[in-house]
Amino acid sequence: MNNLEKVLKKQPKKWIINLIFVLAVLAAIVYSFAGSHINWTRFNTVGISLRIMIEGLGSINTDFLLGTGIYQFEEGVVYLALETLAIAFLGTLIGAVLAVPFGFLAAKNIVGKKVARIGEAVLVLIRVFPEIILALILVKGFGVNALTGVLTIGLHSIGMIGKLFSETIENMDRSSIEALESEGADTLTKIRYGILPQLMSDLSSITLYRLDINVRSATVLGIIGAGGLGASLILAAENWNWDILGTIMISIIVMVLLVDAVSGYLRNKLL
Amino acid sequence: MRKFTVSSGKTVVKPINKIWFILLVILILTVIFSLFIRIDPRNIRIGELFILFEKLFTPKGNRTWGDYFAFMLTLREPLGETLKMSLAGTVIGSLAAVPFAILSAKNILKNKFLYYPVRFVINIVRTIPALLLALIAVFFVGTGVLSGIIAIALFSFGIMTKMLYEVIETVDMTSFEALESTGANKIVAFRFSVIPQIAPMFVSYMIYIFEMNVRSSAILGYVGAGGIGTTIKDNILYNYDRVGAAIIVMLVVILGVQFFSNFVRSKLQ
Repeated sequence: MNNLEKVLKKQPKKWIINLIFVLAVLAAIVYSFAGSHINWTRFNTVGISLRIMIEGLGSINTDFLLGTGIYQFEEGVVYLALETLAIAFLGTLIGAVLAVPFGFLAAKNIVGKKVARIGEAVLVLIRVFPEIILALILVKGFGVNALTGVLTIGLHSIGMIGKLFSETIENMDRSSIEALESEGADTLTKIRYGILPQLMSDLSSITLYRLDINVRSATVLGIIGAGGLGASLILAAENWNWDILGTIMISIIVMVLLVDAVSGYLRNKLL
Repeated sequence: MRKFTVSSGKTVVKPINKIWFILLVILILTVIFSLFIRIDPRNIRIGELFILFEKLFTPKGNRTWGDYFAFMLTLREPLGETLKMSLAGTVIGSLAAVPFAILSAKNILKNKFLYYPVRFVINIVRTIPALLLALIAVFFVGTGVLSGIIAIALFSFGIMTKMLYEVIETVDMTSFEALESTGANKIVAFRFSVIPQIAPMFVSYMIYIFEMNVRSSAILGYVGAGGIGTTIKDNILYNYDRVGAAIIVMLVVILGVQFFSNFVRSKLQ
């Protein structure tokens, strides 16, 4: 046995772990399907459904798109899409502003380990609270309108933005602050020239990223009355109005792609 | 614009501070977008919120706390459904994502006409919110767990493909080239150089997506795609206490899944 073969023999038996992993995943899938009551005959009508869907998607309802004809302008997709964008933008702004104090409260190098742990726990709780449940609660206090959507997205965004902010603050480079200190700068000057320039680009990048996510959730929150496209979406879906559904779907795709492109461009510029 | 003369004799122009411009843009956008949000003071009833909290988290009418907790126990079934749906959807979507991720990575096939179209389709899939996918799935296969699995699988597929091709693109290609230079074909080279590098990330993303899917189960049930969301929707009109109980149970499960996910992912890295 030469040296090479000895080394080969010595390598850990990874395949055992891999096998266990694969078997676990397979068992989980089998269990998931076997335990659920799935009626496979439902796939029989897929062809018909597909034809109805494609026919509906092919005939875009321009009256509904622009809010002309039998539709009021404020019922049109263009207006609703702008309202959705408004909800996402204002919600993200509120979330980002509120996240700054939370970010500092969860940063170990600012408030110490104990307080940071509490801050972190609060942020986790905000993050795991499903957006739609939050909207269900807020809709009682603020009514069926876009304001509820803005507040829901604002409050929910604090969780993720705050966490990422605190990580940025923890990774902050202290040398520039020390340099300013050695020059005799006061606290405000230190914050203005030592801390803000470092944090600004990261904070904006995080906020833009969250805007991407929020545009998607703003389209959805309307189903429980928080404004935006969601209300028309769920109404059309209940009656299977594919021409209206298709119009909404395409507008969502265009809107999300546009926002993604703009925020991606801005984030690249920030780096 | 301010000019400074440095001691060496050079003139330096202080760059314009862009921050004021950015703040102005944000301000203008805020004003424009605010026009869409009509605030009617008559609609704002903060007191209602407190009443709602009481309704959610105390037993209704002549029910006792015993009933409240007994109801929590009956939620095992929809919760199990949610977890199974998320698991099956995540695994199917993630596995389906692998070939598409390879096709859309720039460094493996190096063919523009292949990876741009694939990426475009994936991007379109990713823009559709999970709720809309669930609505469409319900249209095709009816309400229930199956539509949930389909929606979750499609949603996971979109995210996983994007995350995975980004990982494949950052993979160290030297071992791939080394294998190719010894005469191995692309598949063999991929198997022994790229897969060992991306496998841990793949598993880690899968757990992360699973976590996301459990969280989105609340909304999926709302449109009839099964799981704990259905319980919430069924009771939202008359039984707030049951909704409250379902919310508590759901939060506990989501927290549990998140701890599990964080634990496993930290072990993987």
